[in-house]
Amino acid sequence: MSEPHLGPQATRPWILIIVPAAVLLAFFVLPNALLLSASFLKSEAQQLTSQPTLDNYRFLFTRPLYVELFIRTFAVGVSVATLDVLLGYPLAYFLVRTRSRWKGLLIALSLAPLLASVVVRTYGWYIILNRFGFANDVLLGLGMIDERIAFMPSTGAIIVGLAHALLPYAVLTIMGSVNGINPHFESAAMSLGANRTRTFLHVVLPLSVPGIAGAFLIVFSIAISAYATPAILGGPATQVAATAIYNFIIQLLDWSLGAALAVILIVASLLLLYAAGRLGARRAA
Amino acid sequence: MRFSFARWRATAAPWALLRTFVIFVYAFSLGPILITAAVSFNGSNRSFFPPRGFSFRWWERALAPEWLDPLLFSLKLGALAAVASTLLALPLAFALHRYRFRGQQALLALTLGPLMMPTLVTGVGLLQLFQSLGWREYLGFTGLLIGHVVICMPFAVRTVSVSLHTVPPNVELAAASLGATGFATLRHVVFPLIKTGVIAGAVFAFIHSFTDVNLSIFLARPGQTPVTVKILGFLEFGFAPTLAAVSVITLLLPLVLVAVVERISGLGDFIYGEGRRG
Repeated sequence: MSEPHLGPQATRPWILIIVPAAVLLAFFVLPNALLLSASFLKSEAQQLTSQPTLDNYRFLFTRPLYVELFIRTFAVGVSVATLDVLLGYPLAYFLVRTRSRWKGLLIALSLAPLLASVVVRTYGWYIILNRFGFANDVLLGLGMIDERIAFMPSTGAIIVGLAHALLPYAVLTIMGSVNGINPHFESAAMSLGANRTRTFLHVVLPLSVPGIAGAFLIVFSIAISAYATPAILGGPATQVAATAIYNFIIQLLDWSLGAALAVILIVASLLLLYAAGRLGARRAA
Repeated sequence: MRFSFARWRATAAPWALLRTFVIFVYAFSLGPILITAAVSFNGSNRSFFPPRGFSFRWWERALAPEWLDPLLFSLKLGALAAVASTLLALPLAFALHRYRFRGQQALLALTLGPLMMPTLVTGVGLLQLFQSLGWREYLGFTGLLIGHVVICMPFAVRTVSVSLHTVPPNVELAAASLGATGFATLRHVVFPLIKTGVIAGAVFAFIHSFTDVNLSIFLARPGQTPVTVKILGFLEFGFAPTLAAVSVITLLLPLVLVAVVERISGLGDFIYGEGRRG
């Protein structure tokens, strides 16, 4: 298709590209470059200086408070990704294989939460988990607890809220992978005498590994940079990377540390997504 | 022996177990949203669930200027961001699809960059850019619009690209051989074929903008705040059922939009098509 347009018209793509590319360079690449440079500069009296330093990174990687913050953020990411794969896989498998008349509606319902802002979706968990909330009422009513428990702020509440918010991403990714598995493989295994459990464990599950891994990594990468849910369901004692960046930049006006933390988050996210992309590429090959 | 997948499914105990589990997952996924909706009709001053008493007063408050203004602000921002990002995405997606040129891979990476990068980080970067250029007065609507266009563009580009792939390559050659100019081909042949994709891209962009928090918390300013950021700010102080009513409104608006567009142009296939790509 491109051949007829080589020659005199070869300059044509640049006319199409120049404006959108300029917008992205000015308002995406430049800000990130500024952020990267700020992470290597010293801050004094809430102002960035032009003195280069590695102290920002050294500070973040040596202070127990921030080491703990990295561990918590990482643990939240792993837990949320694991939960979402465990909840999302059966749902995705069901949605792909069901012959229900309501299939379309069921798929729409499983993705509908994406239409609501994370703030809205997390608000429901506040109503359930707060000290005077639904969960406490139920447990008190059943006589399982004697006095009200503070389920939040806590890391556990953050994990539940994020697992809820990010579930549709896991379902979408796994559905894509299960969709590619030929149902005849399953019939073949069963007609050769494998029972249902064996068929699932030895045929379906191995074939959906790329989808599972992809879902895990994508949810992981979104979870470690999520702000709203940890801000609502967590507290000062359960800071994660995103809430700490907000505090550095907006409250403490410490651009150096905020930028360094942001750069660490970028590197972690890109590594995770790169891994997810590699898995996808291998599936295609 | 003939094997019937349908019969296996209908009779198998594991399938029944799976169905039970799926019902549980739906309850987990939709429960908190339904609870929020129920709470907005509370007769009480607090966000009790199950609601105690019944009243519409939280809905009245949600529709008073205090909340209606940020809601309209978000709508305006989302609509402009969707239109602008789609207009920018169209030529970009077309060039990426149609031409082979040096730097194409780099341009593709640049285009999808805002999708890969944590949105929060883009927000911090833009705030730093605005401050270092002395553009503080542009924080608020202008800053938010720029930021939202950047983060929405990958959605529009991806959706337009997907629909460009469905255009048979020969139709353009056919149009050209019949004497159509490049622009006429685009206008009368290619565009009608990808129209659904373009609309879908704009809808995705709108929803992405309308539900964003991570970018907006850095670029908003008092009086020029999207509704999500305002809800987040209020969540720290109190949990009056007004917030529940506002939350339900912000959920219903995109839902209605998707339903209407789906009716007009079959958006559903598109979302499922996207899903299949993973």
